[in-house]
Amino acid sequence: MNDTALKWGLLAPAILISAVMLFYPIAQSFWYSLHDWNLTQSPDLGAFLGFGNYVRLLTDDPEFWDSVWVSTVFAFFSVTITISLSLAMALLLQGSSPLEVNVRTLLVLAFAMSPALVGISWRFLLSPEFGAADAVIKWLIPGMRDVPILADTRTAMAALVLVDVWHWSPYFMLTFVGALASLPQETIEAAQVDGAGRTRIFFGIMLPQLRSVLTVTILLKTIFSVKMLEQVITMTKGGPGTSTSTVPYMVYETAFRWYDFGYAAAMAYFLAFVMLILAMIYARLTMEGVK
Amino acid sequence: MTEMAIPLAADRKRIRRRRRGTALKTVRVVAILALSLLWLAPIAWIIATAFKSPVDVLSLDIFFTPTLENFRRAFGPNYMLGDRLWNSTIVTVGTLIVAIPVSTAAAYAFSRFRFPGGAIWPLGLLATQFVPAVMVIIPLFILFRTVGILDTPLALIGVNLSIVIPYAIWMIKGFIDALPLDMEEAAMTDGSSRFRAMIDVVVPVAMPGIVTATIFCFVVTWNEFFFALILTQNESVTLPVSLMSARTDRGDAWEIMAVIGLTIMVPMMLISRLVQRHFLKGLTTGAVR
Repeated sequence: MNDTALKWGLLAPAILISAVMLFYPIAQSFWYSLHDWNLTQSPDLGAFLGFGNYVRLLTDDPEFWDSVWVSTVFAFFSVTITISLSLAMALLLQGSSPLEVNVRTLLVLAFAMSPALVGISWRFLLSPEFGAADAVIKWLIPGMRDVPILADTRTAMAALVLVDVWHWSPYFMLTFVGALASLPQETIEAAQVDGAGRTRIFFGIMLPQLRSVLTVTILLKTIFSVKMLEQVITMTKGGPGTSTSTVPYMVYETAFRWYDFGYAAAMAYFLAFVMLILAMIYARLTMEGVK
Repeated sequence: MTEMAIPLAADRKRIRRRRRGTALKTVRVVAILALSLLWLAPIAWIIATAFKSPVDVLSLDIFFTPTLENFRRAFGPNYMLGDRLWNSTIVTVGTLIVAIPVSTAAAYAFSRFRFPGGAIWPLGLLATQFVPAVMVIIPLFILFRTVGILDTPLALIGVNLSIVIPYAIWMIKGFIDALPLDMEEAAMTDGSSRFRAMIDVVVPVAMPGIVTATIFCFVVTWNEFFFALILTQNESVTLPVSLMSARTDRGDAWEIMAVIGLTIMVPMMLISRLVQRHFLKGLTTGAVR
């Protein structure tokens, strides 16, 4: 067997699987997005609309823009809180004492949980009658006593954000532990000798050196946050009203509740376009990091 | 007088500093314990709920009489946890059995042979994972319906492969890149074919990378929820999707949800140390869907 045959022979199964399961659906849903197609009305693709679905999306669908706003709010808060909290956690847990190592391992358990399990568990923990977390929150903040957390517009969004923070912080904490360990110790020690306080050392020396790691993690978390769907399905179902209906959730509802596949595909492509821009920035930054 | 006061003042300062040091240490330990509580208490509560009678689920008492009744009910005809567990196992094992050899072969090809554009191909494959799941699922749903494999493990293995293979190729390729060419070449001059040299020499040395990829694929496939939610109805429902079955119109059977949740978590707990080491290494190469 010569090398060329071997090369393509080794690649063939991966190419075949990716072609059927990745490239075909990506191309095909673009084709769908150019058509009027509701599965409940016809089993076959309907009339060709050109970019009609996109025009409707951009100019004539306040609900869609509503979901863009919901996604933006969710992404903004979940990214900021997750990244700052996990950096603080990393500073706290970066040591190699048994307590710190074991707590790190235990925290990862939350991250290794299925996203669906995270969502449904917190729905239980936050339920007004017998939720344990709900009881603790209301004991700590008496002003919240009459608020049904997941059924109130403001608190439902806050809960969705905080549960996402709970799920992801352990992962980013470990990333930051790794990043902190790779910082050169000499400058930090020199600053300590010179009598600089912890706060000064953190903001003056560590934070500037963490800049590239921070950029990449922020972008990565933004991508995860924009894509986040499981917790919406399992915790809030987009409600109350449409207050937690993010863009992916709206695509999901349009496709699998109303079976409006053509329009849903157009929405998905719009979302993919945003993701593509984020992914390209991400690829650029990682490539620079590799160099 | 003053000569004696100077060391005293210094002493006092040192003592104060030491006191501040121990105070800070205490604050640290308290903060660490608070964090652990914040993360572990919810998980512990879910696990405890799995052993509570429905009456105890509604109370907030920490103490209760543990029962195994929920497990009996969960495995019974209403919730069929046994079937769900079996489905999850088939899908996960099926995905791993295909994904790991396929990815290892492709990783070797990407690592050892020349391509125009170089690493752009495996990277491009990885970039497809940024595509939202809701976009890929619509054509796949139609495709699987036409072929008649909706609600079968086969459909789930198919989509899981598409999530897992790009990562696995990228991870294993990294390890093979780091291996020197000498060993394969030595084996080839001894008369082995290149394929044999790959199997006998490269694969054993690249094993740590393959293990990392396997653990990563295991965690992703075992926990996958969204695709399984769309592609299954009754027959091939997996564990994460079956969580939804604990939510009925007559109210939510939280104790059953907890039993299912515990079943999903057990393998993760068993391998949590491995997960910490390997899963995170895998994730930093990209993103999960």
